[in-house]
Amino acid sequence: MSEEIGSLSDVSEPTRGILSWLRERLGWEALARVASKKHVPLHRWTLFYYLGGMALFLFTVQVATGILLLLYYRPSASEAFESVQYIMAEVPFGWLIRSIHSWGANLFVGVVLLHMISVFFLKAYRAPRELTWMSGALLLFLALGFGFSGYLLPWNELSFFATRVGTDVPAQIPIIGPLLSRVLRGGSDVTGATLSRFYGIHVAILPAVTTGLLLLHLLLVQKQGMSVPPPLEREPSKRTLRFFPDFLLRDMVGWMLAVGLLAALSALSPWELGKKADPFAPAPSGIRPEWYFLSMFQALKYLPAKIAGLPGEMLGVFFFGLVAFGILTLPLLDRGASRGRPSAWWNWLAVLLLAGALVLTILALLPVAAGPR
Amino acid sequence: METPSAALAGDASRRRWITRFLATTLGASILSFLYPVLKYLVPPVSSEPSLSEAELDVKASDILPNTGRIVPFAGKALLLLRSPSGELKALTATCTHLACTVQYRPERSDIWCACHNGIYDLNGANVSGPPPRPLTKLDVNVRGDRIVVRRV
Amino acid sequence: MIPTVVLSLVLALPAGAAAPSGCLDCHLALNDARLTPPAKASAEDVHAVAGFTCVFCHGGDASATDQEVAHDRRKGFRGRIAPRDIPEICGSCHADASRMKQFNPSLRVDQLAEYRTSVHGTRLAAGDTAVAQCASCHGAHGILPVKDSRSPVSPTRIALTCNRCHGDAALMGPRKRPSDVYAKYAMSVHFRERQKGDLSAPSCNSCHGNHGAVPPGVGSVANVCGTCHAVFADQFKLSPHWEAFQDMGLPGCVTCHENHEIVHPTEAFLAPGPSDRCGSCHEPGSAGAKAAAQIREDLVRLDTETRSARETVRRAAEAGMEVSRARFDLSRADDALIRARTNVHLFRASAVREASAAGISIARSARKAGLRALEERDYRRRGLLVSLGLIGLAIAALILKIRDIDRHRGIPS
Repeated sequence: MSEEIGSLSDVSEPTRGILSWLRERLGWEALARVASKKHVPLHRWTLFYYLGGMALFLFTVQVATGILLLLYYRPSASEAFESVQYIMAEVPFGWLIRSIHSWGANLFVGVVLLHMISVFFLKAYRAPRELTWMSGALLLFLALGFGFSGYLLPWNELSFFATRVGTDVPAQIPIIGPLLSRVLRGGSDVTGATLSRFYGIHVAILPAVTTGLLLLHLLLVQKQGMSVPPPLEREPSKRTLRFFPDFLLRDMVGWMLAVGLLAALSALSPWELGKKADPFAPAPSGIRPEWYFLSMFQALKYLPAKIAGLPGEMLGVFFFGLVAFGILTLPLLDRGASRGRPSAWWNWLAVLLLAGALVLTILALLPVAAGPR
Repeated sequence: METPSAALAGDASRRRWITRFLATTLGASILSFLYPVLKYLVPPVSSEPSLSEAELDVKASDILPNTGRIVPFAGKALLLLRSPSGELKALTATCTHLACTVQYRPERSDIWCACHNGIYDLNGANVSGPPPRPLTKLDVNVRGDRIVVRRV
Repeated sequence: MIPTVVLSLVLALPAGAAAPSGCLDCHLALNDARLTPPAKASAEDVHAVAGFTCVFCHGGDASATDQEVAHDRRKGFRGRIAPRDIPEICGSCHADASRMKQFNPSLRVDQLAEYRTSVHGTRLAAGDTAVAQCASCHGAHGILPVKDSRSPVSPTRIALTCNRCHGDAALMGPRKRPSDVYAKYAMSVHFRERQKGDLSAPSCNSCHGNHGAVPPGVGSVANVCGTCHAVFADQFKLSPHWEAFQDMGLPGCVTCHENHEIVHPTEAFLAPGPSDRCGSCHEPGSAGAKAAAQIREDLVRLDTETRSARETVRRAAEAGMEVSRARFDLSRADDALIRARTNVHLFRASAVREASAAGISIARSARKAGLRALEERDYRRRGLLVSLGLIGLAIAALILKIRDIDRHRGIPS
């Protein structure tokens, strides 16, 4: 007796009746057969395989809560703050939906980063999975874009000034920089036009692009199956876990834990709203972006005004661009990994960059007195 | 010692029980997620973000000519008054001098701040005493007997 | 003689087409410590700018380049004007309505008349030349309009100008006047508010007058303070202290609040101790002392209730709850505290009790609104516990199912 997908040995009569009625009309046998063949390698790093599904789950939570917020949010400089205040204070469970969305955004970016880091160290980007990695890198950039664009939408003091600082940075890029900054802002400064633009980016443009890339990413994973880390490839006994239902049930445990965490964070520490943005007021002290941008933010602070005659900030932005390009094209750069050679240099480079990013983030979080000025 | 078939039957019923338990708890969890979402979809009584517009608890017919009263609006005090000629007006009730609450003075048909004898006219203009700036006027709309006040 | 000849030659050379300003040309070229500064200052002088040259006050001949001609007494030259004569000279224009109308119709023309009623004016007439006259405060040359913030009589600088004499012990001592008035004023709430930019707060001239400067008489103090503090003055006049103070010749408000060192009043005014105001007249155990104690108690109680309400609302706001109604109630409680404190000036314990009782009930309802918000927070936490419980059960069910499947497949868990 085996637990085949579609075997209805352990469900109740009425459920069995409904399912067979549907099966006769929709005919999912082919799908079920494909799904039953999906396996996940079982080894001591299997735990990291859950991160991808977790990221996907958190993304759907963001989409769901985001759609709900759309029902009450008003994207204009004169009403945005008030509408979020309304959601927090007067709409039943509005505080919950909004807090889940805000906390969830941070959790989502965190999980995406962990997913990428684990895929890197498990060398899952080796051939034939280069496209999977590259679409994943693009998805990471999209996730950061979601975070950046969404942050402005409540139109509160912190987000307004953080956006102003954040859209100043691209202006450093030579030649296209000022144009890029202008296109982002919808003008020469952060105004209601910026809000409209970020809103469109956040609820339409980014979701559309993400859906496409996500489908590609998932399709590739289905087609190519799960990669096994190099040291274990040579192992004779390749124990696996069936995806349906074994891995999926374990996935769901993680998803339930994530929901519990989000609920607890929302009820015990609802996301703040602060004061409405006043473009003419001086920037309050301690303005900073969300944690996933902090390392870049802090790094820019440390750069001197000029390095070898060129503006320091421009070189900083150039460096970030270089790192982003490196992340995107990693499988093509580290072709040795595909040939089975241990990519020690790349590993150490990654450790260095991660350690640097961590140190910078911690420095950025210290009280203002400790930072450079 | 159980017979093999009895063991298998016990196994099957245990599996059914576990599946039922799983279905029930998952169903209950999903319902507990759906409950706030469904309640969220039902809009509250006041459909406007109340920082910019709100319907007041007071009836228009309760405000007699040449009277005024303090009502709450967005957590702050609002002076709702009806001029001697019958016009309904709404002004912020926080004096622009040192933030005392102003009041309507029927004997002079003006607005007075008792703290330092500041005087405003019925349009909120600071006409006498320490207040450096006028009071902010708000938009008043009367629908039947309901008063809706809105920031201009 | 010879310097005059040289100067005449020097000055004869470049002749300007402007109005004769022989006075300025000569006095500026002299570079004398006493004679040159007035000439320099007159460039900005409001009178000079309007076309009034030196001769309008000093007489003489402006077009002359020879000193003797310019300073000819027959041409009306008066040289340095004696302090005693200054008011009349300024008044020759400034007290003439038809004259002033040609330049600034909205300027007052009663300054000279007022000055004559002032302490400065009467003392000057009696022969005291070291008192203030027009030039002492406005300057003699380089006079700027009052609105100009550099003018010594502009609202931001007037107190310092008064202090030039009134802070000088050598001047004040012989006249039996205190010289620490500015120091005291600098400790007052009025001074502090002015520093913050609120020019409606009084400076010297607000209470003493500008030109008719006289300290308010004992009987008029309440009226003067009452121009701004109207409610207090009205209440004080209805209170038993009004007649009592008049009978005792006490200076109204100043009795408890001082005249210059007006500090922020606190409940300590009503209690025995260093700030005690009541104890100087009311014996301990007397009706007055008992009333003071009760008033203080009521005020403190109201203050405490308002603070506790404020704290509750703050906690609710910090937990992310909606507290706008509670905040409104708190502002009403603050209003009630102000009213209760104001009612002290009726000097009847019942008046304060009435106001503080009303205030306490408002503070309590504010606190209730805050507590309701905190209840909402607790409701959310209970809801959280319930959903966490359900999630926990779901996780337990999942784990059971996983283990069952594993066992069934023979996979060690």
